[in-house]
Amino acid sequence: MATSEETSRPVAPTSKRRAPGRRRKKGRLANLLAIIFCLVWILPVYWMLNTAFKPRSAVLTSTPQFVPHEPTLRNFNVAITQTDFLIDLRNSVIVVGSALVVAIVLGFFAAAALSRFKFRGRRTVMVTLLIVQMMPMTSLLIPMFIVFSQAGLLGTYYGLILAYVAIVLPFSIWVMRGFFVTIPTEIDEAARIDGASTWQILTRIWFPLVGPGVIATGIFAFITAWNDYMFASVFMKSQSMYTLPVWLASFQTPMTGTDFGGQMAGSVLFSLPVVIFFLFVQRRLVAGISAGAVKG
Amino acid sequence: MSTSAPAATRPDQAAPSKTPHTRRQLTPWALLSPAGLVVLVITIVPIALLIFYSFTDYDQRSLFTGEWSAVGLDQYGQIFTSSAFWHSVLRTLWFTAALVIGTMLIGAGVAQLMTRITSWLRYVVTIILVLAWGVPNVASSVVWNFLFEPGYGIVNWLLTQLHIFGDMTSTDWGNSTPLAFTSIWLLIVWQAVPFVALTLYAALLQVPDGPVEAAYIDGASEWRIWWNIKLAYLRPTLLLIVILSIIWDANVFNQIWLVSEGGPDESTSTLGVYTFKKAFVGFDVGTGAAISVVTTVLLIVVTSVYIRNLLRAGEDL
Repeated sequence: MATSEETSRPVAPTSKRRAPGRRRKKGRLANLLAIIFCLVWILPVYWMLNTAFKPRSAVLTSTPQFVPHEPTLRNFNVAITQTDFLIDLRNSVIVVGSALVVAIVLGFFAAAALSRFKFRGRRTVMVTLLIVQMMPMTSLLIPMFIVFSQAGLLGTYYGLILAYVAIVLPFSIWVMRGFFVTIPTEIDEAARIDGASTWQILTRIWFPLVGPGVIATGIFAFITAWNDYMFASVFMKSQSMYTLPVWLASFQTPMTGTDFGGQMAGSVLFSLPVVIFFLFVQRRLVAGISAGAVKG
Repeated sequence: MSTSAPAATRPDQAAPSKTPHTRRQLTPWALLSPAGLVVLVITIVPIALLIFYSFTDYDQRSLFTGEWSAVGLDQYGQIFTSSAFWHSVLRTLWFTAALVIGTMLIGAGVAQLMTRITSWLRYVVTIILVLAWGVPNVASSVVWNFLFEPGYGIVNWLLTQLHIFGDMTSTDWGNSTPLAFTSIWLLIVWQAVPFVALTLYAALLQVPDGPVEAAYIDGASEWRIWWNIKLAYLRPTLLLIVILSIIWDANVFNQIWLVSEGGPDESTSTLGVYTFKKAFVGFDVGTGAAISVVTTVLLIVVTSVYIRNLLRAGEDL
């Protein structure tokens, strides 16, 4: 749709910024739109924080308080000391931590195999990993539930750890492979010429080079397992074995009625580690997912 | 970037000989086998068992007694003649479409915006996107219930202030199907946009200036430049994002479960919620398994184009 106004625009081949006037006006509109977007998008997070710091009397008011008039830490105090927070935090750390160690160590070797070597069956393995990732969670949850209930693993750490390894491992292999692919193969050649064994190449060259990618993958795997609600709510029936997502979803304080202030404080406590980690790996994650999957 | 593996030639041999070659062939399998075994035992075997159990009447009684009987295709027959199942299939399809389209449009818009705003604002947008992305969906679902709380919820208050829809103060979003869907849609899109926006923004930065510049000089409109030039460069990224979004959105469970539990009257129950309720609320585990098998097949059919491309990519995979 080339209009005459556009065709008559001055040609300025030397400048990198095209048609300054028009651009600037567009820029102002873009800035305005971006500010509106920011206001809308931050609202849920802001409201969670805002409410978490309000005293109970200020949470439910007919005209909302946009800034807590009397900020208080009481809600956090209640969420930590008057619920099972600490017990469930411990459960989460044990289960997620164990699953993570297994998945990352095994995943690292597998990713090395799938990215640095050509061998028969590699494609089959890659496609299997991809399809496994696409399965709905229930297709893993249902058979695991049946087998674990027969094996007495329901309600134990082991059952949930196995489930989390199953969820996280294929993904970790896939993403780490994406990081491996970015290392030039010439490095391997050079190392082999110098007489390095595969093990030496693995520990001395690949590991340091892929290290940041391993950390990013680990954080992503952590987030996935840390956030799981479905498996934990089905496997862990006794309250003392709940993990934090189940704790939050069934948040109860000794108060009467729904304690929204406490709930929001609980949401903040649960989200905080994830959001902090996320700020660190977000950039790498965007690159990793794209690289891993575009290549694959 | 080429993925070519180390060449089969070793420095101490002039020509590639059989021995090192076979050894090289063993190394990857040695590296792969621990993870491979684990995936086999805790992923592939369960999936095989899922198919097996879908032919049995495994239920609450079986959990205690360990007894079940094979019922062949009975459960599949029941599913395919059940209107509740077909309704949730349709619901899943259109809701997934609505989610993917919404996320892609808003995400692409934000990515485009990010290329033309001042840098401090871009920084703010990025931080907000990462925050929205990073909040665990269990937490955001809990927050959502509070935001849409009838009587005191901030959303109802804001909408009332707009004076467009009248007094919405006591609107119960969980009580009507369209409203329940709207609030869940908003929740999922709110969290899904950041990945799309940031990925597309990264891809937009990779679009070379040359062709865009040339099109400007030739007087092409913004829209045509987007459509004809930028989109061509973005296509691989877009394809990937769409496929991932379809997979993620079709499998959404937590948000629906924690916001509406599939209600009111099962009207927001997508396949995931429907399966979960069958298997873990009614404990009709066998039927749940059968629905799960059908869902998986559906999902693979929908994404098969992508998988076929992968298989075609052949050597480079």
